[in-house]
Amino acid sequence: MTVDPDVHVAPSLDSQVGADVSTERPAAFAAVVVQIKQTSPPASASQRLSHERLHEIDRVFFGPFFREKYGRGGDKALQNDRIRYYGMIQPADEGGELAGRRYVHEFDTVTGCTRGWHETVDRSGNVRQIRPERNDGSARHYQFDSNGRYRGSW
Amino acid sequence: MHVDVQTVRRVFEDVLSGSMSRELADRWAFAVILKEETGVVTYSPPGERERIWAGVMYLYGVNTMKAPGEYLHSDNDIKAAMNAKLDEAAAGLAAMPLRVVEQWPSQRFAG
Repeated sequence: MTVDPDVHVAPSLDSQVGADVSTERPAAFAAVVVQIKQTSPPASASQRLSHERLHEIDRVFFGPFFREKYGRGGDKALQNDRIRYYGMIQPADEGGELAGRRYVHEFDTVTGCTRGWHETVDRSGNVRQIRPERNDGSARHYQFDSNGRYRGSW
Repeated sequence: MHVDVQTVRRVFEDVLSGSMSRELADRWAFAVILKEETGVVTYSPPGERERIWAGVMYLYGVNTMKAPGEYLHSDNDIKAAMNAKLDEAAAGLAAMPLRVVEQWPSQRFAG
């Protein structure tokens, strides 16, 4: 996750997202430590934060809300002002080429909206299936091949 | 809404015994998550919130399928998850450095 040079956060697990298919284990999790470097106060009340700066503050402020609940497996900042929080993979021992599933929670830092879905990943770390949380509560699975090509849904 | 370890364990056991469908367990867990988002869930005892949440998050999506009509998780997977999340997690928590675990950050901010 890229952050403002003035904002320091504890090392995140970003690099682990999708990098391997480690399954959930009772490993100690890093506490979120956020230190905001002291900066000069605005010259005047009319001085506004930049758009980018506002987003970084959003990330630092809202991150702990979601990371503890949904982001044990890591998080990733997207270019469209959204952050995805990844749960740990819940292993499936008889899943064949499928290693297991994880829940993904996405937060839009601009609108404040969230959405979530379950991903099924294979043993190479590729997302092979997603199951969005739909408003009507129905479960529909969307399947992809190992190259990411959509194969169909049921 | 009040949730405790025994309640979560009962849902796991009901799924394993077949007295509750995986679909129903998934919807139950989703209802807990929705309530949690609005800050109205209490965990009992508060120190076991981590275990309870781990169990709820496992049950959410427990009906995921790998093919039409074929669940991703076997009963053995679910049983192992129940034991790992509701039992062994306690030992893991005890080994953790001291930190506030009784409340989510949102609840701490809300005072």
